Amino acid sequence: MLMTTLKSREAIASLVDGKAFIINCHGCKEVGFPEAEANELEKELCDAGKVTGIMTTDYVCNPENFKLRLKAYIPQIEEADVILVLSCGVGVQTVAEIFEDKKVCAACDTIELPGYQGVTALEVDCDQCGECFLNMTGGICPITACSKSLVNGPCGGTKEGKCEVDSNMECGWERIYRRLEAQGRLDVLKCPTKLHDFSTVKATGACKQSE
Amino acid sequence: MKITELFKQGEFVISAEVGPPKGCHADELIEDAKKYLTNVHAINVTDNQSSVMRLGSLAVCKALKDAGFNPIFQMTCRDRNRLALQSDLLSAAMFGIDNVLALTGDHTFIGDHPQAKPVFDLDSASLLYTMCQLEQGKDLAGLDLVGEAPSFAKGAVVSPCSDSVDAQLVKMERKIAAGAEFFQTQAVFDSEQFIKFMEKAKQFGKPVQLGIIIPKSVGMCRFMNGNVAGVSIPESIFDELKADKEKTKAGITGIEIAARIIRECKPYCQGVHIMTLGWEDKIPALLEQAGI
Amino acid sequence: MNYPKFVLKDKAELEALLADKDNLFVVSCNKCFKEIETTEEPESAEFIQLATEQGKKITGSVQIDFLCNSVLTEKKLADVIPEGTEYIVTIACGLGIQTVAAQKNIPIVAATNSLNYIGHHGMALTNKTCGACAQCYLNLTGGICPIVDCTKSLLNGQCGGAKNGKCEIDPKKDCAWENIYQRLEKQGRQQEFIDQPIQLRDYSKINHKVITEYVKAVRENRLEGFYGGVHPAERKEFTEHVALQRFPEPEEVVIPTSMHVGAPATPIVAVGDHVKVGQKIAEASAFISANVHSSVSGTVTAVEPRLHSNGKEVVSIVIKSDGKNEVHESVQPAGKSLDELTKEEIVEIVKEKGITGMGGAGFPTYVKLMPGKPIDYVLINGSECEPLLTADHRALLEFTDEILFGLKAIMKAVDAPKGIIVIENNKPDAIEAMKAKIEGIDNLEVCEAATQYPQGAEKMIIKRAVKRQVPSGKLPADVGCVVSNISTAIAISDAIQKGMPLVERIVTITGERMLRRANYIVKIGTNVQDLIDYCGGTTGEDVTIKMGGPMMGAVLTNTEVPVIKGTNGIIAVPTDHTQEVACIKCGRCVDVCPMELAPLNFAKYVDEGNAQALLDANIMDCFQCRCCEYICSSKIPLVTKIGVGKTMVMEMKKKC
Repeated sequence: MLMTTLKSREAIASLVDGKAFIINCHGCKEVGFPEAEANELEKELCDAGKVTGIMTTDYVCNPENFKLRLKAYIPQIEEADVILVLSCGVGVQTVAEIFEDKKVCAACDTIELPGYQGVTALEVDCDQCGECFLNMTGGICPITACSKSLVNGPCGGTKEGKCEVDSNMECGWERIYRRLEAQGRLDVLKCPTKLHDFSTVKATGACKQSE
Repeated sequence: MKITELFKQGEFVISAEVGPPKGCHADELIEDAKKYLTNVHAINVTDNQSSVMRLGSLAVCKALKDAGFNPIFQMTCRDRNRLALQSDLLSAAMFGIDNVLALTGDHTFIGDHPQAKPVFDLDSASLLYTMCQLEQGKDLAGLDLVGEAPSFAKGAVVSPCSDSVDAQLVKMERKIAAGAEFFQTQAVFDSEQFIKFMEKAKQFGKPVQLGIIIPKSVGMCRFMNGNVAGVSIPESIFDELKADKEKTKAGITGIEIAARIIRECKPYCQGVHIMTLGWEDKIPALLEQAGI
Repeated sequence: MNYPKFVLKDKAELEALLADKDNLFVVSCNKCFKEIETTEEPESAEFIQLATEQGKKITGSVQIDFLCNSVLTEKKLADVIPEGTEYIVTIACGLGIQTVAAQKNIPIVAATNSLNYIGHHGMALTNKTCGACAQCYLNLTGGICPIVDCTKSLLNGQCGGAKNGKCEIDPKKDCAWENIYQRLEKQGRQQEFIDQPIQLRDYSKINHKVITEYVKAVRENRLEGFYGGVHPAERKEFTEHVALQRFPEPEEVVIPTSMHVGAPATPIVAVGDHVKVGQKIAEASAFISANVHSSVSGTVTAVEPRLHSNGKEVVSIVIKSDGKNEVHESVQPAGKSLDELTKEEIVEIVKEKGITGMGGAGFPTYVKLMPGKPIDYVLINGSECEPLLTADHRALLEFTDEILFGLKAIMKAVDAPKGIIVIENNKPDAIEAMKAKIEGIDNLEVCEAATQYPQGAEKMIIKRAVKRQVPSGKLPADVGCVVSNISTAIAISDAIQKGMPLVERIVTITGERMLRRANYIVKIGTNVQDLIDYCGGTTGEDVTIKMGGPMMGAVLTNTEVPVIKGTNGIIAVPTDHTQEVACIKCGRCVDVCPMELAPLNFAKYVDEGNAQALLDANIMDCFQCRCCEYICSSKIPLVTKIGVGKTMVMEMKKKC
């Protein structure tokens, strides 16, 4: 799942050299689009006479539909020097490919959220590491629940059960320990030393790409 | 020399810790060592401690060794992937540096380069395992090393006063399974807690060096209580430090406290590891008062 | 194109994993982001075969769509796991496995490895991926992502590894940086790139705190009130502050005999008859039916089928107004206070005065007032969750007393001890006004509800306000609730206090394509095109006119139709040109369905003509709120398909 945040005003201002056409993607609005800030920014740009048109759509990443909807805006886009896209990185790349000759700019940064796009954000996450460790951890993922993705137990950095990186984050390994203890399964941690196999990620990734 | 040999000989092994400077000159560090650290068995050299970028641990170990000291090379897994870690282990072996302390390392986020990519390709346990592999003449990919295999005294750390001691013990066991031969602990300020921990840890049969920090001031202790993982300083120590400000400032109170903890814990452990935090000059007095 | 998220671990690993385990229950996920060629995935059967060959006892198995949907999964797993189960074997990606692990205190066995597809694709399946690096570099690279497309995620240009324009890691993969150079060259932006400062990636940009807090907020919000729902752009600012005005007297009204659910009313006037305002002109013909009254005084010029907003011809009474608005003698106040009126008298008035639900569906109100079951709460539905519409909002502000009177009348009729007015928090002025009015009244309460569509649906509003769940196939009265629309409450008030039947209502005329936007009190039977003309007509090309809101409103292909009892808005919005593409099983329709259904399966079963499967999947629970179609990334006309599906089910039932 993805979440977009608006880049800084200065960064966006420096992108808009001349006139801009703005594309808002509300496709993932349900999972976090900075609507209020975006409206404010767009109003400012409009007031400054820098906007040739605004299009608000969903699923820029569904190119068939996006192209159909684009038709009505072609003159406004032609008039613009830059297309400013407020969407995740996928949307920006889709627009950039359609308008290869135009300067297409991203006004947002994209952040990964736990869970997939299809569902509401989740408290659990899967990094798709390709070698599931959940069997030795009572079903709590050490790759995502531990900020260092440790696979052999906790580091020494927990303080009152919280992670050294963020005191709002529970130590993943303490959670694992408690879960296993509650299930009377601490023995599973006596398995041989684990080495995280990063080649698995590459191999499966490459195979998916070529499919 | 390997400090595991000293444990075998029944020595109460004393080590101290130095932190390399942020710069490319280690002369001062060596001079200080010559002044204050002649009575310790080994010197740990930290590895970008607290995720703050400094002169490299391996280079300083080499300089200490050349000056006649016995260095312990601290290695964290934060900054190097398994290629670099193995390569640096081989480099250490080439220099004759044969004491290695394996740590996971603090996260980059809490140091002076929060923008950096944290690596954690391996962790403390798998780094110990890696050393065992190298000792058998193989690298992690299972490929043969050329020539005689290296050999290390493989150390690891544990936090006896952590608020999650049970999880720490599990990890300690995993580290032993992975090849750890000796342990140094996080700083201990509460002898009773340490002794309780050792009662559980002694079953593993591995030597443990008691971690000691000389408490410098009330402020420092407060900071550690609030921010340093695995450290918990009891109220009584605060009272002692508050009692005579001048004495505390001169370091006398701190030395008294540290020496007392060493004396109380000595029967339960196999050595002591002193983290000086800049007070290298206090070590001779501390060792004397502790009677070691 | 499929993005399988997981594969079964290999046989040897599974055997080792199961060696010391027995009595396994198998939970598997039907996968997502894939072609929906089958509704059940094969891994479960493969695993069960393997485990059985190993002599393991399988205590049961279940295949679930979108296992990571913790809310629905919890319900689905509630009582399927038999006693004696020692391990739950989970076949899913890590999300699904962790979801199961968190819910049951039975140890789980992960039988799969999750796969990575490098970066993220968007909602629709495309070749574009996003690494979600929190520091978008696309502005420097002509819109080609260096994080995902370059194997080394280089930021400052090409490495030395490309050969013939291909990556050193994979000779089938284009070198991203060669593509970037070409794109920039095409746009004449190479110098701009060269002049960029050296880029250093900032890994601290991904802030755990921001993410965890966001997730927490989303999930809390998610589970407040009811499951699912969406937040379409409200656009209520067009008319929410425009005070009600009376729409000018129509010259002619066309009053259909069917403006309600149930049998059409029977006309009781003939061509040439003179009628007055409030006079009954058609009579209810069945238990579920409603009387119809004239909204003007004048002469009946026709009683004949006329085009209705539902697109069908419906017998309608056409009256030419004499402009005098003479009121019929039957229009007399009840003459008694609410305390003096009996339950039966209230029901009779509501029935006689032709009052139907005015929120859209048009169920005869008097039937609701005879629930035959004990009622704890009467809910007045002021949520007005449809975007654009503000009719109820204005009514809440300008007819506050009438609404309260109507509420009290309903409470009296159904013997309810408590009344609640539910208002969404995007109408703070209405909440304030209503709160001021009910101050000191013990048994009345205003419920402020966070904005969420379709909160106005009966089952949703009940869940939100009193946390009761109306079971599948049941009615609000079954859980002790009666729900009434704002306008309906006003109509009840008018019927009792003035004796005036339901002959007019509030209509919002709005939308991006409407020239002037306003809220009018309009006589039933007024021509929709007249309303639009009065507002200056529509602007621009590509206009879609709808009766009702943008979500549940009906498209009007012909605007020569009358305003009926349920007409809360006439909107002119830009036409959306979309094209249906194949379902990618993204699961968002399941995520938003407030009835906790799986709309994607309805589309599949309708296409297959499988009425039994539709019935089994509870298609009849769907009330066509359109959330699924709104959220669908493939633009599948789900509501239309569901309509077809319901017809299929009803025909199947008839045959049986």
